[in-house]
Amino acid sequence: MGTRSPLPPDVNALLDLERVIPPLPAAQRARAMARAQASLATPVATTTVPPGAAQRTRWPAMAAAAALVLSVAVAAAAYGIHARRASKPATRPAAPAPVNQVVPKAPAAPPPAVENLLPAPVPAVGSPTLSPAEAASAELRLLRLARVAVARGDFADALPPIAEHTRRFRYGRLAEEREALRVKALAGLGRTEEARRAAAAFQARFPRSVLLPAVGQMPASRP
Amino acid sequence: MSPLSLLPSLPPRVTADGACLDAFQRELDYIFRTLRRLGTSASEVEDLAQELFLVLRRSWSQYDPGRPLRPYLFGIAFRIASVHRRKHGREVAFEMVEVIDSGTGPDDALQTKQARALLLAALEQIPLLRRAVLVMHDLDDVPVGDVASALGIPRFTVYSRLRKARRELHTAVRRLTKAEI
Repeated sequence: MGTRSPLPPDVNALLDLERVIPPLPAAQRARAMARAQASLATPVATTTVPPGAAQRTRWPAMAAAAALVLSVAVAAAAYGIHARRASKPATRPAAPAPVNQVVPKAPAAPPPAVENLLPAPVPAVGSPTLSPAEAASAELRLLRLARVAVARGDFADALPPIAEHTRRFRYGRLAEEREALRVKALAGLGRTEEARRAAAAFQARFPRSVLLPAVGQMPASRP
Repeated sequence: MSPLSLLPSLPPRVTADGACLDAFQRELDYIFRTLRRLGTSASEVEDLAQELFLVLRRSWSQYDPGRPLRPYLFGIAFRIASVHRRKHGREVAFEMVEVIDSGTGPDDALQTKQARALLLAALEQIPLLRRAVLVMHDLDDVPVGDVASALGIPRFTVYSRLRKARRELHTAVRRLTKAEI
């Protein structure tokens, strides 16, 4: 651009380099999209805040307050929804076969024991001993194990934490990410039929998921 | 190896939320990078990107699809970064400031990474109001008129901030690389 002339060539070269936007790591991208998707569960606030000149001075405070309110509301809504779902799963009409049935019965390739990596077992869902915050961090811990294993390409290691998460948090806050990881792990292991079934169940359960394109198109598995 | 297709076809998203989410997804790389350029640390960028999504969703009805999206996103990112900075104070350390030490590194990717880190560190030394103008105009190639409307400032101010920001960038790059020059 012509207006760039005042800068010396080496600084311009730095700018030229930085003008190419580097792509985010896939895991970070998936995490960001899952969070954005989850926030859609909350109705949009009525106060709108356009980035216009007239509102420059008070905008920051309003945005901060609104963001805080929204994020609290999102968390509350998410838990409300899951609690309701968990208490009456039968009311969902013509529900597809639960995805979690796909995995555990796979005698062909028993995953190596990684139980020692898993957080200490805690009584199942609905246990009064688990506060929402504890449940959230337990969910995160489990799925982090699965995510890291998938990222490493150790797909077999991803399945035990996924199964454990399914057992303890079947309708948990991160069920969507769990099921996407399941498809990825199965596809990575070359268990294509199971992966396909898991993907179909994912689509039926999360038809508007941003993870759907990724779930529908897996990279080819290693031989 | 061709990708493994597990699902036959995917339905398009048509609602306003869906369109907003699509836009966020499409521009996610840009959003993260913009927040980093505006001084957000790597550990906080995910949270601020979420904040940006919430604001984007709230104001989506006011976005004119005939206008380019990036300046609009930049305006939101800039305000979020400003608020964050005001609340949490100035970040002290950028991860890599002594980036230029290994001047003879043969690895292109490494050199690119170092050059990018150097530029981010140099940008960090420019006050945010002027940095925003420089990033928009010199990195995103946004015309002066659009910079003015996205940031809500007069064109003249854009020009004067741009001039000053370039001088500051120049100085900062020299300072950070003085061992090598």
